[in-house]
Amino acid sequence: MDLQHLLFVLALICANDSLSASDDLLQWPQISKCRSPEMETFSCFWTAGNFYNLTVPRILQLLYKKSNEEDWKECPDYITSGQNSCYFNASYTSVWTPYCVQLASKNEVYDKKCFSVDEIVLPDPPVHLNWTLLNTSQTGIHGDIQLKPRLSTVVPLYSLKMARDYEIRIRSRQRTSEKFGEFSEILYVSFSQIGIVCDHCTEEVEFPWFLVVVFGVCGLAVTVISIMLSKQPRIKMLIFPPVPVPKIKGIDPDLLKKGKLDEVNSILACHDNYKTQLYSDDLWVEFIELDIEDPDEKNRASDTDRLLSEDHLKSHGCLGAKDDDSGRASCCEPDIPETDFSASDTCDATSDSDQFKKATEKEEDLLCLDRQDNDEPLPNLANTDPQRQHRNTQSENSHLWAPFGDSVESPRPSVHTQISNQNSLTSTDFYAQVSDITPAGRVVLSPGQKSKLGRAQREGCTEQNFTMDNTYFCEADVKKCIAVTSHEENEPRVPEQGYNEDGYFTTESLTTTVANLGASTAAPPSSELPVADYTSIHIVQSPQGLVLNATALPVPDKEFNVSCGYVSTDQLNKIMP
Amino acid sequence: GLLLVALLVSHMLLTKEGVTSLPICPNGSVNCQLSLEELFDRAVKLSHYIHFLSSEMFNEFDERYAQGRGFIAKAVNSCHTASLTTPEDKEQAQQIHHEDLLNLILGVLRSWNDPLVHLASEVQRMKEAPETILWKAVEIEEQNKRLLEGMEKIVGRVQSGVVENDIYTPWDGLPSLQLADEDSRLFAFYNLLHCLRRDSHKIDNYLKVLKCRLIHDNNC
Repeated sequence: MDLQHLLFVLALICANDSLSASDDLLQWPQISKCRSPEMETFSCFWTAGNFYNLTVPRILQLLYKKSNEEDWKECPDYITSGQNSCYFNASYTSVWTPYCVQLASKNEVYDKKCFSVDEIVLPDPPVHLNWTLLNTSQTGIHGDIQLKPRLSTVVPLYSLKMARDYEIRIRSRQRTSEKFGEFSEILYVSFSQIGIVCDHCTEEVEFPWFLVVVFGVCGLAVTVISIMLSKQPRIKMLIFPPVPVPKIKGIDPDLLKKGKLDEVNSILACHDNYKTQLYSDDLWVEFIELDIEDPDEKNRASDTDRLLSEDHLKSHGCLGAKDDDSGRASCCEPDIPETDFSASDTCDATSDSDQFKKATEKEEDLLCLDRQDNDEPLPNLANTDPQRQHRNTQSENSHLWAPFGDSVESPRPSVHTQISNQNSLTSTDFYAQVSDITPAGRVVLSPGQKSKLGRAQREGCTEQNFTMDNTYFCEADVKKCIAVTSHEENEPRVPEQGYNEDGYFTTESLTTTVANLGASTAAPPSSELPVADYTSIHIVQSPQGLVLNATALPVPDKEFNVSCGYVSTDQLNKIMP
Repeated sequence: GLLLVALLVSHMLLTKEGVTSLPICPNGSVNCQLSLEELFDRAVKLSHYIHFLSSEMFNEFDERYAQGRGFIAKAVNSCHTASLTTPEDKEQAQQIHHEDLLNLILGVLRSWNDPLVHLASEVQRMKEAPETILWKAVEIEEQNKRLLEGMEKIVGRVQSGVVENDIYTPWDGLPSLQLADEDSRLFAFYNLLHCLRRDSHKIDNYLKVLKCRLIHDNNC
């Protein structure tokens, strides 16, 4: 180890010498340091540099000056301190007086330094080191020694190991200075020299750091693994807390996975921003399709009858959506029919639709047919209407909801009960019948099918005063007229003239119809109570819907035509409180 | 236990550079007098401590404020005590009469009384003055007063008869410490601290020489 160190140092020195020899940079002469060993004398040293040619003798002078003097004096002693040095003995040394020295040749000043002697004190290394044993420990392993250099204070060294040999060297500095002087010569201390032999002293074993680190890491790894694999959830939760999974309130992630779209829609419909998408008008266009009519469906009972009777309330395999409360519990109250129209939440509509579905007389087969054909779970209400429409277009005589509005939501259960009560005698179809659907997708209405008795006993239309002040004619009025005249026929006579591309009765068509019908025999007016064939508008909601009320409107004014189911805006304003 | 800890801590604090608790006169004794040796011991310790503090303070100031300002080149050291002719080396200190030396020491100490008071107060106004410089300035001023008292006692012991001591140099450097220009103000501080370090070194050396000469008969 020492040999290697020595070789390395030698190599460095050689390299340094070779470097300096080949260095061609110009070096100015400069004062390297000024030093006072004991504050009584001082010396200054300088380097000559390679400025001059070697042939020309260099004439360098060191000049000095005290602060209170004017002239520069030359160095008194160039020899004592060695080459390129200047020695000032005690007579030239004033301790607290500022000096300035400068290195100059005849014409040029190369370097200058100013100092005071008390600032440049660097003690000489101690000489003649000697040591003595102070005391030993009780075990005999450690001992204290004391060094005594000549002309210096005593230096104690404590707690040396008796079994070892030591090499000691000392350097000193002025107490108020930070710079140390040179190191002294090496002093060899060996306790065996003075006859102290330690019998029981053995080579001490160093602390096995390597083993400690290795075992510590292994232990930590084992602990971590055991915690991770531990069955105890509490410890695991404490050290490795679970990362929270993103969650939307009210939505079950499993629901999304199963892909039950309508249930998901119902859940998402709780959030208002989703609502508008449900009732876009495009849905109507999407679901209205031309399809091959099914002749078997003609023989079925009127849809309205099915709708009105409430015998088939019990659950059928196909009826109704299974309300398994998936995800809707947070926002909806299932199975509670809502007649409060102010609650515009479609969840209510959904629950009501379910309720309604259960209560309706919708044919099981039809529903099942829907299901089988569509191959999907029961659609929600918005899809129900067009779907039904879709199914019912297969039959010309099938009965459909008149598309008064996009949503005929909550009032239906109460509505149809009232209607059914009213119509128990008449059992009249009081909705317009869609006879055809134009390729453009528009619906052509025609008078309802008279499959029940009593229809002929309705009021004759000749005695009706068609209120011409309204833009629209009440379909009820027209239908009554038509029903009277064409009571034996299933097919209306009007339709050929009543056809319009837009599918609605216009005033022209109605007038012609009325004119045609006016010539017919006027049957005595029916003694029956006037039937509200159409539900009156109870509340006009947003463009998306009309809420219908089956009761006849109160007649505050005689001007108001009670037979007309439609209410104009002015009349509505009079009626409504 | 608490008392022991307090005693230990106080002992540790007091055994800092040069300030150890020396035996004092027991209470109640009338003719108690410290010996000259003890007086000199205390004086040397104090002077050593003062020089140590002033040296540290100068180094800190130099490091903090004077870097790159070229103060050293400008510091020709016109200290206010330069007019006092003091021994300039060991030989001269050994040759001067001890009474004269004592009077000189007293004169220098008295001359520094006033500047030290102002230094302690003006240092606190320095921009972002480090806590250590502030503390040292206050400590030096306090210790200097104590040393002055001790020296007067020593002089009273050593000198026979009444001595007229008019060695004193007034200090007029206060305006320079309060200059508006920061560079000039900092140079004034630098100069003052440099002079303080030098003069405290002088006093420390003089007292050690005196102690060696008077107490140990030059066998130090």
